Amino acid sequence: MMYEFRVSEMAEEFGVHRNTIRNWIAAGTLPAKEGPGRKYLMKFHDYQVLCEKFGREPVIHPSNHVELANIQSMEALAGQMVPMELDGHHSALAIDPSWADACLTCGTCASACPIAGVDGLDPRKIVRMAVLGMDKELVDSQWPWKCTMCGKCEESCPASIQITALMRKIRGTRDRDKVPGPIHKGVVMCLERGNNLGIPKDDFVFLCEELGEELAADCCPGFVTPVDVHGARVLVTVNSKEPFAEPDDMKWWWKIFYAAGESWTIPSENWEGVNWGLFSGDDASMKVVVGRIVDNMRRLNCKVLLLPE
Amino acid sequence: MSIFELMLEYLREGKIQVDNTIHTHPAAYHDPCNYGRKSLKAFGQAFFEEGREIAKACCTDLRELNPNRNGAYCCGAGGGAWAMPFNAERVYYGRTKARQISESGAELVIAPCHNCRDQIMKSLNKEYELNVEVKYLWELVADSLIMPNKQ
Repeated sequence: MMYEFRVSEMAEEFGVHRNTIRNWIAAGTLPAKEGPGRKYLMKFHDYQVLCEKFGREPVIHPSNHVELANIQSMEALAGQMVPMELDGHHSALAIDPSWADACLTCGTCASACPIAGVDGLDPRKIVRMAVLGMDKELVDSQWPWKCTMCGKCEESCPASIQITALMRKIRGTRDRDKVPGPIHKGVVMCLERGNNLGIPKDDFVFLCEELGEELAADCCPGFVTPVDVHGARVLVTVNSKEPFAEPDDMKWWWKIFYAAGESWTIPSENWEGVNWGLFSGDDASMKVVVGRIVDNMRRLNCKVLLLPE
Repeated sequence: MSIFELMLEYLREGKIQVDNTIHTHPAAYHDPCNYGRKSLKAFGQAFFEEGREIAKACCTDLRELNPNRNGAYCCGAGGGAWAMPFNAERVYYGRTKARQISESGAELVIAPCHNCRDQIMKSLNKEYELNVEVKYLWELVADSLIMPNKQ
């Protein structure tokens, strides 16, 4: 903070002549600079030092300022200070130890987050908990699962802390049987049966054929759903909720393919295009599901892969 | 290939023709986090303009939700939240998206993502009394198609 004064005021305060003050400024004894309106500016700290030198009390006491004596006692300790150890905790979740310094705790992430405050938590607190090694509390918390990993926090972060990666790592660290909702069950189902909802191959193929006949009758004469067509250009994957609950919704893309004269196909197995390992933080399962799509691309000799969205 | 690139290929190369007189009511385009902000971060490429180009080909009154693109708000159901048992939080999360939609005056919201479409159509629409129609981007295109004569 700066202290602003007139030469005449300062002269009166210290009981000296105006020229004395001007001389002090010229000589550097009084480290002030000329400001607007025939006033001078100096650092408040320098003003405090000047007052102390002449045994005077400063005429003003800004409420946000620290007493010189307090600073001096801290300065004396500066050489002997040891960094604080917090029970020797190290976090397996904090992806980069430099976050402890890089995170300014400014809270911009919390302001950007639509669910900041829910359960008393927000991205800033989550990052701080990770830095402090509160891994158990984080893994047990439901908050990282209420977060949608939308990335608003990370996008607003001036220190580029990877908050969404942290959130996903917290999710991935939880025991699999404690993953909320059907996400992990879907991953297991997908590994065992080829799609998140366990739709059998025969049912799926039958449904595709039936929907194709409806589409042909409705607006696409001659349409036949191309299942397992070798050499098709585009391999189409499916969001399993559609064949399960909203089968007619699959027809929109099919109608577009028909109009465009596209060469495309749907695989009869491992057609799941929704990889829930992404959300449950399960990289190993995610890789298996991706690998199966790659196998389908090779098996059917397709050039282009289309994911459901 | 993304759905955007494939649909743009069809439109730009004239493989499909669309009729923009079917959707003339105010429409708003929703940026999904995964195709925008998160794609930009993960792959260095986001799909912001592609979806708008496709939607503009089908709609005469396309509006923006503000903020949008890289600053867009999540629908509230991403990251698997649509399937999670935290319904109250999911609806609360979506309040910013609901406000954006009602401020835009849109009667149709176009969502290029399954999760976003479900959250806006099946949840926010009722909870916040938005009274909007919600379509997938490909649903919009399919509904606007001028079907070629084949057989």
